[in-house]
Amino acid sequence: MSQRTERRGIHVDQSELLCKKGCGYYGNAAWQGLCSKCWREEYQRARQKQIQEDWALAEKLQREEEVAYASSQGPQSQSQSQSQSQPQPLAQSTPPHGHASLAPFSKFEEKKTNEKMRKVTTVKKFFSPSTRMAPKKESQEGKTPSPSISRQTSMETDRVSKDFLEFLKNLQRPGREIHKQCRAFIESMANKKDLGADELSECVQDFYQNLSDRLMSHFKGSSESVERVMDQVEKYIMTRLYKSVFCPETTDDEKKDLATQHRIRALHWVTIEMLCVSMDEEIPEVSDNVVKAITDVIEMDSKRVPRDKLACITQCSKHIFTAIKITKNEPASADDFLPALIYIVLKANPPRLQSNIQYITRFCNPSRLMTGEDGYYFTNLCCAVAFIEKLDGQSLNLSTEEFERYMSGQASPRRPTDDGSWPLEVDGSASSSTTTAAVNPVLAQLHHNLELLSSLNIRQDRLAEAAQGLQAELASWEEGVQREVQDILERYPLEIRPPPESAIDTENAESDRLPPPLTPQVFAG
Amino acid sequence: MSAMRVDTKVVMLGKESVGKTSLVERYVHHRFLVGPYQNTIGAAFVAKPIQVGEKVITLGIWDTAGSERYEAMSRIYYRGARAAIVCYDLTDSSSFQRARFWVKELQNCEEHCKIYLCGTKNDLVQADRSLRQIDFHDAQDFAEEIGAQHYETSSKTGNNVDELFQKVAEDYNDSAFQCMADEAAVDLGQKKDSYFYTCCHNN
Ligand SMILES: Nc1nc2c(ncn2[C@@H]2O[C@H](COP(=O)(O)OP(=O)(O)O)[C@@H](O)[C@H]2O)c(=O)[nH]1
Ligand SMILES: [Mg+2]
Repeated sequence: MSQRTERRGIHVDQSELLCKKGCGYYGNAAWQGLCSKCWREEYQRARQKQIQEDWALAEKLQREEEVAYASSQGPQSQSQSQSQSQPQPLAQSTPPHGHASLAPFSKFEEKKTNEKMRKVTTVKKFFSPSTRMAPKKESQEGKTPSPSISRQTSMETDRVSKDFLEFLKNLQRPGREIHKQCRAFIESMANKKDLGADELSECVQDFYQNLSDRLMSHFKGSSESVERVMDQVEKYIMTRLYKSVFCPETTDDEKKDLATQHRIRALHWVTIEMLCVSMDEEIPEVSDNVVKAITDVIEMDSKRVPRDKLACITQCSKHIFTAIKITKNEPASADDFLPALIYIVLKANPPRLQSNIQYITRFCNPSRLMTGEDGYYFTNLCCAVAFIEKLDGQSLNLSTEEFERYMSGQASPRRPTDDGSWPLEVDGSASSSTTTAAVNPVLAQLHHNLELLSSLNIRQDRLAEAAQGLQAELASWEEGVQREVQDILERYPLEIRPPPESAIDTENAESDRLPPPLTPQVFAG
Repeated sequence: MSAMRVDTKVVMLGKESVGKTSLVERYVHHRFLVGPYQNTIGAAFVAKPIQVGEKVITLGIWDTAGSERYEAMSRIYYRGARAAIVCYDLTDSSSFQRARFWVKELQNCEEHCKIYLCGTKNDLVQADRSLRQIDFHDAQDFAEEIGAQHYETSSKTGNNVDELFQKVAEDYNDSAFQCMADEAAVDLGQKKDSYFYTCCHNN
């Protein structure tokens, strides 16, 4: 029975299941209808093409840059310039990890190592051009979803590269040097995919450090201008490295992300009053800012450049400050800010929060992270996450039993409690239904479960229907087959031809050997 | 988005309600009436440019949340700080004990951080001597022992507030001059390893 149905199915789709290349093997939807072998070939071709295009573009831009440089500097620069003034083989046109492309930086590195003995090992590790090819190449490809997606990414990367070169053009000589070193650095990083996250971070931080030192000393940049350049460098480099260094497999970042996400979900019952947040969401302007703050902190995950991620945190923080200021009618202080940020993080449950924090910590330009305003907000975010992880009854002014009951879902803060620790509970009538749902998580959960159940019901009905349909189809098929058989029987009726008559008599060769027929004899009676 | 460039980070530490926020507000409002920060954002973070000789040093002043429930998080705040103003209330001896605690923490975790010991609410003890619970000389001795600068300030009258921050900026300028930003930079580079986050788990 089952065999029959199967044959029927295959019969209909046979051609579509085969590899689109027509190699005769079966294809797979996941490989865009190709078989595994053809897919790999196709994919490799797309990749190769893309890499070539990238190189071509970079080369073209560098040439433009060189022309711009030559025309702006004129011949007098010759005395000052070292090897750079001649259009030497470009980093991009030589295969990656060649000695030549790294040479200028290594030379400069030697000098640096003498200055800083402590950094010797890391610097060496970083700058010795690695000859071992990344053995993970194959698996790396497997990870990338599809050529079309990486093409999209590469478009963004190209745009960032163009902006970067545009920016560097105005810097003239240092600009060329910066570009060269960035290219060399990115290439050197391509061979370091299997390094641990801390080592990757060290590489990037060393690079920032060395480059900004060099800009300071060799090109006599002011600290403002160096910082501006370094921002662009960070953008350029991290856009390119993002995919391989964000939440890398060598870390447990992802595990932590999930743990934090669960933790925040488990804390859904925490109210704004428990955290003593001075934001009154009844005021439309305040709730508007709260929503914006939540959006900002969620958006952080979509940025690639550490500084852009930081900017999201800063934006979020400013909205929080505005919300507090409107509520309190005076500027917010640190005492107001941290609890409010904790509240926002709990409400937002931002995706991949730990990965993002780690990524920023590892790859952001440290001066920005350590001293500036962005750094302040980022530090507060780290505090908020730490607080959420460690949060217990005490930190919410709850007894341990109460805390446990809320955590286990046995009780809801919405229900008036004996000690009446939240005065705002009483006037729940004023709040809208949405806030009720938000504040009464048990009800919300109930609704959610009901919804799930009813959707399950619907799906079950659909399944039953489909099963019935299948049964009917089967029955009709059987009928059909019977009819067909009948048809055929009718069209070719079974004719049982009678055997040729008197065959025995006509062709009886041996009849003469038979005795003569008996003749009737009449007996007189 | 790039906000004001900041040269160094100064973190305010001390028990709740010793007057950290007041100190920052006093200092900032006193000098810059319409700075870009205090109007729009409050006093949690302030970037304050200070004239030191020929140069302008911009201090990034980090206020910390006062409430005790966040005290455990303070470590995260003072990471990488080059200067810390550890406040105690002249009229509250328990706040001095707390200050000792912060000093020990800083000495253990941030050896490059310069410490400024600051007795607050000087106006109160000047109005009524009997309110004083921390003897000036005891605090001075402690400061010398730990190699810290010692000030007694009043945010109400402004007494010694400018002097305190001016000293912070000058010290930074001197140290920056000595080791030419190089050393400072190396420091930042080396400490960066999963900086914020590791520390969250340790405390
Ligand atoms: N008389 C007087 N009161 C002060 C002084 N500094 C702070 N206060 C008061 O102490 C209380 C706590 O100050 P605050 O700055 O919020 O402390 P924080 O928790 O350390 O930030 C407030 O009521 C201030 O008015 C001061 O120098 N003199
Ligand atoms: Mg305060």
